[in-house]
Amino acid sequence: MEYLFSPDNWRWLFTGNNLRFLFEGFLVNLQIAGICMVLSLAIGLLLALGRLSRSRVLRTPVGAWIDAWRNLPIIFVMLFLSLALPGSWKAAYEELAPGFLPEALRTGRVLAAFLALTLYNSAVIAEIFRAGIQSLERGQGEAAAALGLTRWKAMRLVILPQGLRRMVPATVSQLITLNKDTTLVSIIAIQEVMRHGRIVTSFGFFGTTPAPVLQVFLVVGVMFVVVNLTLSRLSRRLEIRQRERTGVELEAVTGVEDQAALAAEPA
Amino acid sequence: MSELWDVLVRHFPQFRSGFLVTLRLVAISFVVAMVAGTLVGALRAASSRWLRWIGAVYVEFFRNIPLLVLIFIAFLGLRGAGIRVGPWAAGTASLGLYTGAYVAEAIRSGVFSVGSGQVEAGLSLGLTYRGVLRRIVLPQAVRTVIPPLGNLTIAMIKNSAIVGASLLAIPDLLKEARVINNDTFQTTETFFWAAVGYLILTVSATVAVRFLERRLAVRR
Repeated sequence: MEYLFSPDNWRWLFTGNNLRFLFEGFLVNLQIAGICMVLSLAIGLLLALGRLSRSRVLRTPVGAWIDAWRNLPIIFVMLFLSLALPGSWKAAYEELAPGFLPEALRTGRVLAAFLALTLYNSAVIAEIFRAGIQSLERGQGEAAAALGLTRWKAMRLVILPQGLRRMVPATVSQLITLNKDTTLVSIIAIQEVMRHGRIVTSFGFFGTTPAPVLQVFLVVGVMFVVVNLTLSRLSRRLEIRQRERTGVELEAVTGVEDQAALAAEPA
Repeated sequence: MSELWDVLVRHFPQFRSGFLVTLRLVAISFVVAMVAGTLVGALRAASSRWLRWIGAVYVEFFRNIPLLVLIFIAFLGLRGAGIRVGPWAAGTASLGLYTGAYVAEAIRSGVFSVGSGQVEAGLSLGLTYRGVLRRIVLPQAVRTVIPPLGNLTIAMIKNSAIVGASLLAIPDLLKEARVINNDTFQTTETFFWAAVGYLILTVSATVAVRFLERRLAVRR
């Protein structure tokens, strides 16, 4: 306790550019998270629709694809891709990477990180979306059909708006998991907050004494806690606003499938 | 194709020991997670506001912090503070306490899913508070808690790879795969068999949960 709160061990926070350096690293994490969130949500929706398709030729392979990626550790996939992706792909990425990205995100290694994060999270989000779509009473689909809507139109206008809204809490908690998983990219040598933390705690950086590891990584942890708490607060706010606007009490999800999705894995 | 079998046959002892290390890592962390989760779950349901607050802080902290940061704190951070923590202690404590926050939430919602009316009914029938808990609340709570706990266990199996992949000297399945890959450069073959190892664990956990769910389902 004494060690933890001793002012000597916190001086690093205000010396040199330590804090700014950590924030710059954290920004890289947030950018990775943002890009992969957009990709995972879009691809997850496509995968969910594929798995619910009436054609077995589509349904079976999409289902196998989802189950394979969902059940493998994300760090396992990331390490594998970083070793196995052909150099030409990485070179192509370096060629194509837009200039507004920070330097850390323009190296070819990032491709493995993006791919692993997106493969895993799109599979999990697909299952969440599927649970949301299936939890709607069949009546909704039948009513839409009775009104003369085609299956696609019923999906787009009736089922999806309700089903996805119902899954906002589960989806957001998966996005929080994604945000946390961005720290794993440090293992494949991408310069982000974990790596910056290691630099700050090693000798001779900015000509100062090394900062204590415990305090530095507590600060890093707090950065994540703040962002993730903000995300979950926002989702709760959104939920309440929707309820007020539609004037309909959202039904609690009760099916086993939904509970599984709502149990929101901390993976 | 023959190369694929070759890698497995030649490195089977390494794959097996990695698999067993992952299994042990998950088993120990599971115990830590259950104990921590039950305690914190009880805190969250306590009558004192302060205890509830402590439980909430625990849950929000451990649920929102990356596991890798926890491992760094538990291993390198505490070392800096003069507390020597071994890799196994740091790894299982991080994974267990991290998952414990989710376990606490699952247990809390399971216990609260049993209506207070039932508790009052049990008490009015002359059961002791303990008797109500043991005969009315827990049997029903277990049913609601099993599916989320199963999912958390599966997530923990996957998260155990983070422990092995970070700085800790724990030779789990992923670590062994990397060692074999460094020897053979047969990346796809090696990782294929490691993936099979992880899928054996996650898929059998899924099947076990489904079996338990069906066994415990309320028969009407």
